[in-house]
Amino acid sequence: MRIRILGNLVILASTVALSYGMQVSKPHYADLTAPIPVDGAMRDTVRARSFDVRLDKVVFARALKTNQFGQERSLTTSGLWAVVSTNLTATAASTTVAEGTWQGPTGLRYHQTERLGYRQDMPPHGVDPGLEKRGLFVFEIPPDQIRGASLLIAARQFAPLDAQARISLDGVPTSADGQPADVLPEFDLDAPQAHTPQGKS
Amino acid sequence: MNAVSTGPIAGEDRQPEKKWRRRSLVALAILLPLTLAETSNDSLREWLHGEDLIARDVDFGQAVPFGGSDWKLADLRGGKAGRLPDHAFAVIATFSVKIGDPDLQKQWLGCKLMLTDAAGRRWLPDAISGVSLPAGVMSCTSAIFSSARKGDTITIGDTFIVPEDAVKTIRPAVGLGSERPWFLRFQRPPK
Amino acid sequence: MFRTARSKVQTWITAGAGTIAALFVAGLMGAFGAMPAHAPPQLPLDAAIDAGRWRVQPVRAYVSHARTYGVLLKPGQKALVLEADMTNRTAQSDKAYFDVFKPDAITLPDPMPTIALIRDSTLTPELHPGMTERMAYVWPLAGDAAVPASLSFGVTAEIFKPRDNLYGMPGWFNPYRLGTITLPVADVPAPGTGS
Repeated sequence: MRIRILGNLVILASTVALSYGMQVSKPHYADLTAPIPVDGAMRDTVRARSFDVRLDKVVFARALKTNQFGQERSLTTSGLWAVVSTNLTATAASTTVAEGTWQGPTGLRYHQTERLGYRQDMPPHGVDPGLEKRGLFVFEIPPDQIRGASLLIAARQFAPLDAQARISLDGVPTSADGQPADVLPEFDLDAPQAHTPQGKS
Repeated sequence: MNAVSTGPIAGEDRQPEKKWRRRSLVALAILLPLTLAETSNDSLREWLHGEDLIARDVDFGQAVPFGGSDWKLADLRGGKAGRLPDHAFAVIATFSVKIGDPDLQKQWLGCKLMLTDAAGRRWLPDAISGVSLPAGVMSCTSAIFSSARKGDTITIGDTFIVPEDAVKTIRPAVGLGSERPWFLRFQRPPK
Repeated sequence: MFRTARSKVQTWITAGAGTIAALFVAGLMGAFGAMPAHAPPQLPLDAAIDAGRWRVQPVRAYVSHARTYGVLLKPGQKALVLEADMTNRTAQSDKAYFDVFKPDAITLPDPMPTIALIRDSTLTPELHPGMTERMAYVWPLAGDAAVPASLSFGVTAEIFKPRDNLYGMPGWFNPYRLGTITLPVADVPAPGTGS
């Protein structure tokens, strides 16, 4: 009987130890259900599950000029505006690409700005298979978050286990102190750009 | 718990206990998969009713009952019109539908007109500036609220933007909430 | 399983011991809860306050009688406005700043303030990590509400848990009153109207 008690205690203790070990060492729920990153570089086409994205250009500016309801507005920021132009295509079916995040070198996540209101070239971008579409993502970032940053683009905000394009922004020219090489005093979002016109309802 | 059960137990108790333990183990092997099936049942059903997965092919000129009404491809035409991206075509697909069950808000919920190509890619309707639907053609959503009666024949259609390389093989398709995961895929009209 | 009298007794003892332990712990926790809590301290106005996700620096408070930073008032209403510099201390863009300030000892028709970015009157934008922005908290008041010359605001903070108990996700939980700030309240006919 004594042996049985001892044996059971040993089993209990080892179960506790095993459970604790698994709790400490195994990936957590947040990691298990996180989006799956697809890495790429600037000017490469990055293939996510439902869309392809190519990062063409990043422009930094101190202010943004935009036309809202026929009214001209100049938006300022405590940091810098980063206007990222991308080229988007759907892979298999018409879909939308809605989420852009600027991830700083230490992992700080700057979500796309909500201050511009609705615009045709702002997310959510409606994309079709086989048709390229220019789509903008606009961020407010501090100047020290540029070197070593990456751009995260996903179809939706909360999309467990869906693909997320993670594009390294190493190609952005910066000076020795990490500041961007070229900062415009003001960027006009409505100035004509070289892009393919496409009406999307 | 174990410490309690290891107390002195009369010898005749051991046999039935062992038997019950074995039965419980076997029951576990049956019950666990059953629980899993039961808990995932709703999600699975919801997913199946939200996706156009299985195509039902329809010949040109043939009318097929779908979502309580008879669907027939009326016309499929493409060309360069309006403001289009490079290497793209505008396509208009129209269907003539004879209403059977007039409760369209229930039968046609989540109505989706699509174009599919040989590679299985799918296009949803797009607005093209400079191109509008022919007179008398409704979009699927406005048809739902058009209060069409049983026996009426209505024309439903939409505009699409399709890349050059797909235009040769595109086929129109229709998905309805009440019929998913099945959807109709129509044969192109003969040249 | 427990057919003999002795094992029955053992079962009862084991089950009973667990219950008693649970009761004891619960009683202890209740006793701690009933202990006199420390009154939330008065917070200094000349330094930034770390309040959970936000670093806040109150700037000024006033009563406005007109449209303030794009926040419209119903006819006959005035508004209590608190302006503060807000910095997101977390690692991602966030807009969970609605409960940070709450005026004490004043009746509010709607306790939820409207919050505007002073820079361009954007309503409730996300604030980004480490980027300080001046925000205006606007509480509509009845036109005849009496506002004292000096008003206290409660400051609410939350604690960070790297893993919550349900999903193991990081998050901010358990809001508590960090302290109180007291500001003079000016009466302004028409303050900054914003752009």
